[in-house]
Amino acid sequence: MKLLIVLVTCLVMAPSLAAVDLKVLQLPIRSDGPKSIDPVKGSTVYDNEAVCQVYETLLQYKYLARPPALEPLLLSGMPELAADGLTYRFQLKKGGRFHDDPCFPGGQGRELAPADVFYSWKRMADNGNLPKSWWLFEDTIAGFDEYRDAQNQAAAGGGKFDYGAPVKGFRALNDREFEVELKRPVQRFLWILAMFQTAIVPREAVEKYGPRFGRHPVGTGPFTLKEEDWVPGKSLVVNRNPHYHECFYPKEHMPEDEEFGFHLPAGARLPIADRIEYTFFVQDQPMWLQFQAGKLGYIQVPAEYFSQAFNKRTRKLLPALKKEGIAGHAVPLLDFIFRGFNMEDPLLGGYTPEKKSLRQAICLALDWEEQNDSFYNGINIIYDGPVPPGLEGHPRDGKGPVSYRGPDLERARQFLAKAGYPEGKGLPVIDYYSSLEANGKEQAEMLTRQLVKIGVRINARLSDFSTLIEAITKKKALFFSFAWSSDYPDGENNLALFYGPNESPGSNHFNYKNPEYDLLYKKIQTMPPSEERTRLYEKMRDMVIEDAPFAGSMARTRFYLVNPWLKNFKPTEDFSNWSKYLDVDDSKRKR
Amino acid sequence: MWFYILRRLLYNVPVYLGIIFFMMLALRVNDPIWAFLGKNASREQYEAFAAKAGLDRPFLSQYARFLADLATLNFSAESWDQPGKSARDLLLAAIVPSLAITIPALILTSLVSIAIGLAAAHFRGRWVDRALMIAAVLGMSISVLVYIVLGQYFGAFWLKKHFGWSPFEIAGYEPGLSSWSTYCLLPVLISVAVAMGYDTRFYRAVMVEECGRDYITTARAKGAGAGKVLFVHMLKNAMIPIITNIMITLPFLIGGEILMEVYFNIPGMGRRLLTAIVAKDFPVVQVFTAMFAALFILTNILTDILYAIFDPRVRLS
Repeated sequence: MKLLIVLVTCLVMAPSLAAVDLKVLQLPIRSDGPKSIDPVKGSTVYDNEAVCQVYETLLQYKYLARPPALEPLLLSGMPELAADGLTYRFQLKKGGRFHDDPCFPGGQGRELAPADVFYSWKRMADNGNLPKSWWLFEDTIAGFDEYRDAQNQAAAGGGKFDYGAPVKGFRALNDREFEVELKRPVQRFLWILAMFQTAIVPREAVEKYGPRFGRHPVGTGPFTLKEEDWVPGKSLVVNRNPHYHECFYPKEHMPEDEEFGFHLPAGARLPIADRIEYTFFVQDQPMWLQFQAGKLGYIQVPAEYFSQAFNKRTRKLLPALKKEGIAGHAVPLLDFIFRGFNMEDPLLGGYTPEKKSLRQAICLALDWEEQNDSFYNGINIIYDGPVPPGLEGHPRDGKGPVSYRGPDLERARQFLAKAGYPEGKGLPVIDYYSSLEANGKEQAEMLTRQLVKIGVRINARLSDFSTLIEAITKKKALFFSFAWSSDYPDGENNLALFYGPNESPGSNHFNYKNPEYDLLYKKIQTMPPSEERTRLYEKMRDMVIEDAPFAGSMARTRFYLVNPWLKNFKPTEDFSNWSKYLDVDDSKRKR
Repeated sequence: MWFYILRRLLYNVPVYLGIIFFMMLALRVNDPIWAFLGKNASREQYEAFAAKAGLDRPFLSQYARFLADLATLNFSAESWDQPGKSARDLLLAAIVPSLAITIPALILTSLVSIAIGLAAAHFRGRWVDRALMIAAVLGMSISVLVYIVLGQYFGAFWLKKHFGWSPFEIAGYEPGLSSWSTYCLLPVLISVAVAMGYDTRFYRAVMVEECGRDYITTARAKGAGAGKVLFVHMLKNAMIPIITNIMITLPFLIGGEILMEVYFNIPGMGRRLLTAIVAKDFPVVQVFTAMFAALFILTNILTDILYAIFDPRVRLS
């Protein structure tokens, strides 16, 4: 009888004991959540966060390395570049398999194969999928653009988009090896392979779930997601993938990581957590209170709460929070915030010395520090040129050898006179286009005040963001406020914004055309990282500073707070697949 | 009576058709496809998308198609922002969370406001009346955001921090009656506090007006007690403005309370519509707007019917 009681007690207790051992994390997503967990349909940082839990790319960013560096994820090693400089050879990692799902025979996930990689990338070419990031592959892989045009034409004509049709640059060698041939050497190609849009999906799941596939993800990632565990607008819960391929916590780390103990779990099998519960927050106040109550592992500090977490002057964590064991981190973002000029505009555009002088005068009249202090708590980084901090081509200490950064009103007035408008006389009122969102109106007022000091008058035309984009892409906006966040951590991505063939509606919203610059850009596209390439980056940076198709620049810094129970969280916004490294210490939770 | 209802329904058909026509026109002034696809979309993508969404057809054809969908309650158009979900799915998922806060809030607000209005009218001109009205003016002068911010801070966070317990969660929503008070009671109480200021003043004005009528004097002359005068004679005769006031709020009830839903993370109708607008989710915005318009018209008709029930003179006129 006693034995029976013990047995029954054990049986009853077993689930609760198991539950106690589960490592469960609660994390925020600062939005209404992802829209689709289909890699080709995603484009926002929130889509990225959700996709990276369940899907994986061929390469990934090294978790603790700064500046960012790549390493294999679904590959057994880094891709090898052939002597022709065009062909990459890949070998898939053994053990990389899709999640168990009814779309597979017997419900058991199968091993990843080269055909899955080609299929996933071809989905990006299919207009029927409404892919948001085809530009990643555009003009990159041999025969891929032609394949895309032909298949979309066939689909538009009532036929089918044929995923089986060959692409010249895709070659499967065996079950695990394949080659990709590029049209021309493209350095950014490897960065693209770490972007979530290029994640690998199984054809069986796409075909079985059809339009529901975006809500029923089947990937190779560290976590799995059931359809019912994603409540749109509310929450999303992912659970450990029991068959996750062999992946370990990194052994290499930065010296500063030791302060936070990021180096301690080196060699631990991933993922560390059993379950992650994400809550979506549209408003910052409930997120802030939930964090303070210890219910969220970390938080991006909203601007209005900055002074409650950090000293505004020193930007150091407040002692009261430190005492509670909360850690603070500052993460510089790869931002290029600027005021742009349309170089095709008869008044502000052009390349003659007078035209350049007018733009340079405007640049010199702007006070970016005042803007930073007034609207960003002074936490942003002001710099010269288009390349943000942390990337090659960024000037040392942010100050370039060529600079027209203001405020230097005396010099600004001299340049304005050189342009033929002494004290602004004869200069028509300039239409300035900006977004009405956030504090666009207030920023426009500050800009008006700064420019009027040298006699330049502007008429602020404020609109919603989509109208602003339309005005810029249709070349209607002659002077505008805009920003660019780097797609991958390479200065080339920002220098592409001034490449002539990228003119609007492409990413060159300045419609800047300089044949010498274009030649240099073509050259850097094919160059591996080297001192020579960095010198060219700097040369190109100085060329655009001199021609002044923009006034700038500024990059945001995001501040994070981390509760003591969340372990191994090294904040970054360059990539999003870091949740597999996270751990929890429940003994440090608030009771 | 049935003829009256039918007549009211028929009168409103052209009104609804007009609303839908202009709503559909307004939603197409700025090209919804470019707005959704964004700057990196190609012309081919645009055309493929337009064909898939049926937006490449002439406007009148789209109008006829949408009317047919409305008539058959077919809201299967796929959300652009949440592929795989139809407008119907989103609508149905959002109704219960919205009603979980709006219905209790409406009932509580109406009951409390009518009671206070009656009390204020009964003691009109005396300190009780003045105190109640000062409180009402104060209540309606404070922004709803202040109530929300303070309610969340003190009601949920502060209590828990200092006493280790609070009846409310800071934010969130769980379906089911058992968790209703944890997640929904605080937004309901805040909604009541916000709405009470306006409603109390309105009901007091109605009751004060009724107090001076001849039938009240007659009732008192016949020896009716204060309770009977207030709750039987006065309340019954004040039903028309009371019904109007309650019915006006009904469409907003279904529409949810956007601020409450956004701040308390409640996945209701208001928040869903707001999200759809921000995300340029054209099919969802179109369906939700058409539904709100229909509800508004139905509420108006229902108000007319209730008027006719409570006051037969309305029917005769």
